[in-house]
Amino acid sequence: MTAYVVRRLWQMIPTLAGVILLIFFLFNWVGGDPAQVLAGKISNPEQIANIRKQLGVDQPYYVQLWYFVQQVFTFDFGRSWSTNEEVSRILLTRVGPTLTIMVPVLIIETFLAVIFAIMVAYVRGTLTDRTIMILCTTAMSISFLVYIIVGQYLFGFQWGIFPVQGWSESFTKNLVTYAPLPIILAVAVGLAPQLRLYRSFFLEEINQDYVRTARAKGLPEKKVMMKHVLRNALIPILTNIGIYLPSVFVGSFLLEVFFSIPGLGREIITAVNRSDFPVIKAVTVYLAVLTMIINLLVDVMYKFVDPRVSFK
Amino acid sequence: MKRLPFAVLALATLLATAHPALSEPKKVLRMAFRTAETGFDPQKVFDRYSVGICESLFEPLLTYDYLARPVKVVPLTAEAVPQPEEGGTRYTFRIKPGIYFADDPAFKGKKRELTAQDVAYSIRRFRDPKLASPYEWLFENKLIGLDELAEKAKKTGTLDMDTPIPGIEVRDRYTVSFKLKEPDFNFAYVLAMPNVVPVAREVVELYPDDMMGHPVGTGPFVLKEWVRRSKIVLEKNPNHRGYELDVRYADPNDPWDKAAIEALRGKRLPNLDRVEIYPIEEEQPRYLAFVNREHDILDETPFEFIEQILPNGKLAPALAKQGVRVFREEAPETTYDLFNIDDPTLGGYTPEKVALRRAMVLAHDRDQEVGIVRKGQANAAQTPVPPGVVGFDPAFLSHQQDHDPARAKALLDMFGYVDSDGDGWRDLPGGKPLRISYKYNTGSQEQRQLALLWVKSMAEIGIRVDAAAVQFADLLQDKRVGKFQMASSAWTADYPDAQNFLQLLYGPNTGQSNEARFKLPEYDRTYEKSQRYPDSPERNALYRDMSRLILAYAPWRLGVHRVFNHLQYPWVKAYKKHPILYTNFKYLDIDVAEQQAATKK
Repeated sequence: MTAYVVRRLWQMIPTLAGVILLIFFLFNWVGGDPAQVLAGKISNPEQIANIRKQLGVDQPYYVQLWYFVQQVFTFDFGRSWSTNEEVSRILLTRVGPTLTIMVPVLIIETFLAVIFAIMVAYVRGTLTDRTIMILCTTAMSISFLVYIIVGQYLFGFQWGIFPVQGWSESFTKNLVTYAPLPIILAVAVGLAPQLRLYRSFFLEEINQDYVRTARAKGLPEKKVMMKHVLRNALIPILTNIGIYLPSVFVGSFLLEVFFSIPGLGREIITAVNRSDFPVIKAVTVYLAVLTMIINLLVDVMYKFVDPRVSFK
Repeated sequence: MKRLPFAVLALATLLATAHPALSEPKKVLRMAFRTAETGFDPQKVFDRYSVGICESLFEPLLTYDYLARPVKVVPLTAEAVPQPEEGGTRYTFRIKPGIYFADDPAFKGKKRELTAQDVAYSIRRFRDPKLASPYEWLFENKLIGLDELAEKAKKTGTLDMDTPIPGIEVRDRYTVSFKLKEPDFNFAYVLAMPNVVPVAREVVELYPDDMMGHPVGTGPFVLKEWVRRSKIVLEKNPNHRGYELDVRYADPNDPWDKAAIEALRGKRLPNLDRVEIYPIEEEQPRYLAFVNREHDILDETPFEFIEQILPNGKLAPALAKQGVRVFREEAPETTYDLFNIDDPTLGGYTPEKVALRRAMVLAHDRDQEVGIVRKGQANAAQTPVPPGVVGFDPAFLSHQQDHDPARAKALLDMFGYVDSDGDGWRDLPGGKPLRISYKYNTGSQEQRQLALLWVKSMAEIGIRVDAAAVQFADLLQDKRVGKFQMASSAWTADYPDAQNFLQLLYGPNTGQSNEARFKLPEYDRTYEKSQRYPDSPERNALYRDMSRLILAYAPWRLGVHRVFNHLQYPWVKAYKKHPILYTNFKYLDIDVAEQQAATKK
């Protein structure tokens, strides 16, 4: 296993190099000149050149690229161009609120999706199954933005069950007061597609020969579903969670913007609007590294879920 | 032993009465900003929200009277508004003694008084290449000796803050005198800008990399808490000397003035103990937070909700019933569409080129812009100068900017802009195709709608316009270097004088603020002549002449002056929106009992 992990870590280097090149060239070709924005209302070419010099964007591309590579490997992305705040501090202070929302969303959504999926898979073809599938399709057809706007208006304003928006310094207060409505809305949006997907995973397993054999052996249906079907369906479910997991660390910018949550998603949007390249670079690299590590962890976890899997 | 409970009770009563803060609830104002702040280094920030916070943390030498309309410059940390000396080239300020900065570790536990050296240091700081201040232009080619220092700094990388220069003369602890290269009768306005405020050198030197996060001023509030782009908390500055509301320039017939005077009678400002500001970019949560009474003020009511809030221009009954008041403000800003005067198709000063631009202006349907895109919350601009600005002439009407497609077509026909090849679109005189590109900011839905309005309006007279969305930074760059044919733009008053708007078409400003690249000798001469006059009928006449030249040569299609609606609950006292200053925290008061009762409902 150690050899496998080392090999996978080694393979991350070219991927990371690709990410670095992609971000660098995308920003330089389509990102616009940040000095134009930072120069203010009235400025002359000399002042713009001075700002470009201070930002380092006057350097040849290969020098800028080399700085970027150094930043990635030292985890020091310098300071934000628009606010002069340390980028590492931005990431550290923003990831907490993002996780406060996204971790419960992941847990609740996965739990509910697995439970409902196994239930509807068990009663497949019945009126209940069809009704739930129609509801899921309808729910998936509605934009997340609509959920947020309507949910915020009804739950936050009309019925006053939750605050319209806000965030505090207390984790408990955030979790109990400010996070529930965004969590509910995110779960409501994410549940339908997950449920449909997981239902198909379960149906595929239910139709396997080993399930027929288990039933023929006289195993109770509960045991067949929970022990055999669930365990085998966990592999594609785990893969799906693995794909979804990096987004947990980045957050939903729509939720964060509408509910004034000081998370990473909102920070990314602000950085893009302000052409704040150090923040964009840091977040993108952080996300790329995170995705690779999570993929590796998911692959390692396969071994524990399915003994047939071997590390080669 | 029996006496102990009595003693405890007596002590508690004594403490409560001796320290009103212990017994009185705090006056807390809560509101949202439409956009996130960037920081609070006054010489560095230029977005209005960050500058708005700086208004409460720092104090310039001069400021604007809260109630006076049109606006009036009054002294703040200076003892008086200086009279121009030596033909408008010298201004001498005497600072009031006994003004102190807020406490900070930079002062090593001592009280730090504001001095003339702080003013001199802060003005020099604008030209420091390390700072790269976006307001450097305020002191460019202005003070004798400062340009030379800035030139040297370009080589050394640091501005010499110590060598005396004739342009900034510190005469004693409290007196500073500025010597200008040319007469400037608007210099007092510059020194009333919330960016042109004294900062302490020790603070700048202690936090060289994070002045944005360490604002230390002499203002009525201090920055107590700052969760960047999420929450800004200001609290009363214990070192502040306090103000009294100046009622000399109040309008006795203005209900806002009367209410403010009534609310603040006999009170020492500031009244608020704490101000909590939440940047909320989305309109719905900002609006709902106000109607849910989570916020006390809704500045700049979102246009999306204007029909719910102000149906037919009147406050909605549900809000009126709660005592909500609306302050309508015609902002001191002008939007406009630029024609690039250097462009071979659209530009130039020959009759046929001017005719083309004027025809396009006549064909552009500005009424639709006001009614549909801006939901009626704007007034059509007649001159580049917005209302509320010195030099604005309410009687000035520009029929050259009316919507009149028939006149536009006649003008085009007369100068040979006809459909030569029969493809349904007009061509240039001589038959070459006429096709114009209009650049706008890709990130703005409103800008997109305005661009499409241009496409539609021009199609009606047979001119083909292509709307091209570009990144904000690219649009700025293209406008600076003249890489466009038409583009959208806007200008908000830095100071309330028409000169601040009319300089946008001054020839030597091409490549900077003159984005249209308009270079008309007659206009430039008139502009230069106007600078030699203080505010006077003579100067206003020159301003009018410049407006006429703009209409005649049409380097711009004048847009609108936007109207903002600001809402407050009845427990917010003494509210009045200032056209130049963005925030007014030091003047506001809160009826805490009323606020708490309403919030509990």
